[in-house]
Amino acid sequence: MKVIDEKILFEAASEIIKRSCIGIAPDAMELLKHAYINETNAAAKRLLETMIRNAELATEVGKPVCQSPGYPVVYATLGNDIKLETNIQKVFQKAIIELTKKGYLRPSMVHPITRKNPGDNSGIGVPDVEIEYDPNADYVDLIISFKGCGAELANTLKVLTPAQVGREGTGIKKLVLETVANARGIPCPPVAIGIGIGGQIHYAAKLSRKAVSVRKWTDINPNPELATLEKELLTKVNSLGIGPAGIGGDTTALTVKVEMTSTHTAICPVAINFHCWPARRSGIRIHSDGSFTHLL
Amino acid sequence: MSKEVRLTTPLKKEDIADLEVGDIVYLSGKVYTARDMAHIRIMEHLKEGRQLVEDFEGAAIFHAGPVVRKKNGEWEIIVIGPTTSMRMEPFSETLLGKLGVKAIIGKGGMGEETLKALKKYCGIYLLSPPGCAVIQANSVQKVLNVHWLDLGVPEAIWVLEVKEWGPLIVAMDSHGNSIFKEVKEKALDRISEMFKEK
Repeated sequence: MKVIDEKILFEAASEIIKRSCIGIAPDAMELLKHAYINETNAAAKRLLETMIRNAELATEVGKPVCQSPGYPVVYATLGNDIKLETNIQKVFQKAIIELTKKGYLRPSMVHPITRKNPGDNSGIGVPDVEIEYDPNADYVDLIISFKGCGAELANTLKVLTPAQVGREGTGIKKLVLETVANARGIPCPPVAIGIGIGGQIHYAAKLSRKAVSVRKWTDINPNPELATLEKELLTKVNSLGIGPAGIGGDTTALTVKVEMTSTHTAICPVAINFHCWPARRSGIRIHSDGSFTHLL
Repeated sequence: MSKEVRLTTPLKKEDIADLEVGDIVYLSGKVYTARDMAHIRIMEHLKEGRQLVEDFEGAAIFHAGPVVRKKNGEWEIIVIGPTTSMRMEPFSETLLGKLGVKAIIGKGGMGEETLKALKKYCGIYLLSPPGCAVIQANSVQKVLNVHWLDLGVPEAIWVLEVKEWGPLIVAMDSHGNSIFKEVKEKALDRISEMFKEK
């Protein structure tokens, strides 16, 4: 059995944190460039151009694309054949603290009630670590996603009744569109919208965050039912005309990602989770021989 | 027809009155960053009748918290960009009315209370491109001062000297117009249309 020690994990963590901060994920860049070509509103087009230029410049000069690192979540996939002789959260927190000192991350983690800022992004439960178990994995996958918190302010979580779901999920679609309209420019459009449907509220919320954090924004949902829903919602959202930064235009969302799980016959929890355009996300696979390959 | 103007702080009523939504501003001079905690502390100071750390008459307030580092004893801005302005909505009347702030700069827009205060006291809301922190840091010439660092780096008031900072878009003007309000109303109309009983 392969053992992954703290040194290997720290190296992997540092690499993906740094890579996430100083640019945006290539799939998000692809969508942004596509949106720029298709945008018909002149002011919106100019803003998209500035966003693209800023993200490219960030990578070029090695500085954070956005001043706010948002909030970090680590998605880890663990299997039977790998043993972790270390604590994922502690190691990631250590790497985050070190990269904060180097100016890659603004110290933004605070005590939720006293608002006290320790000044180095250390904090209770930071980063959130979501672990998935895959018995067949002979590797460890680690994806880190820093999601901005202006976007978080526009999120919605609602438990619908079966009557509110409506025929063909009309109620869900309406809730998504109204949430987008009310969010206006707050979540830094063009956004990615993660939607979690089903379970109970905690489950829907987790799915909504995961949907925009571990999938490529350019991918197509393997579930044809959800692929159709994603496409329909994206078209409808972009017909609302909110536009980049909320100033009007054709580009409100770059992508819509839906994840679903069964729920109880009495309810339908729906979580709508905005991701700002700067997709600070990066992943790495640690193989059983200790070597790394990039994910995402 | 939208226009492009160059403004220097402290701002005067004449600088603002002619501006309309869609106009572009390039700003030079002194800019103060302030987020939630700085606003809360300003309100506490006013309530207790204590002297504020700066005179905000004609000031430009930037909803932002920078990434900084100290180099040879001097603060240096690594990157800076806007935060969500809507959180500061409850403070607009005081800032514009009592303190004489003339320009609020941020992202995402603000609400009805701010729109009213901008009209009443002749102020503007400028949109700074969200997520574009590297480009905008290039307009910062110098960190002139920092107040209330005990609130943490993001929440402190950073006094910055900026040069030709822009393009900033006039998104809410002193005549009661707001791009954000207009865009939202149109979006909600479209939704009603979409879900009309078939």
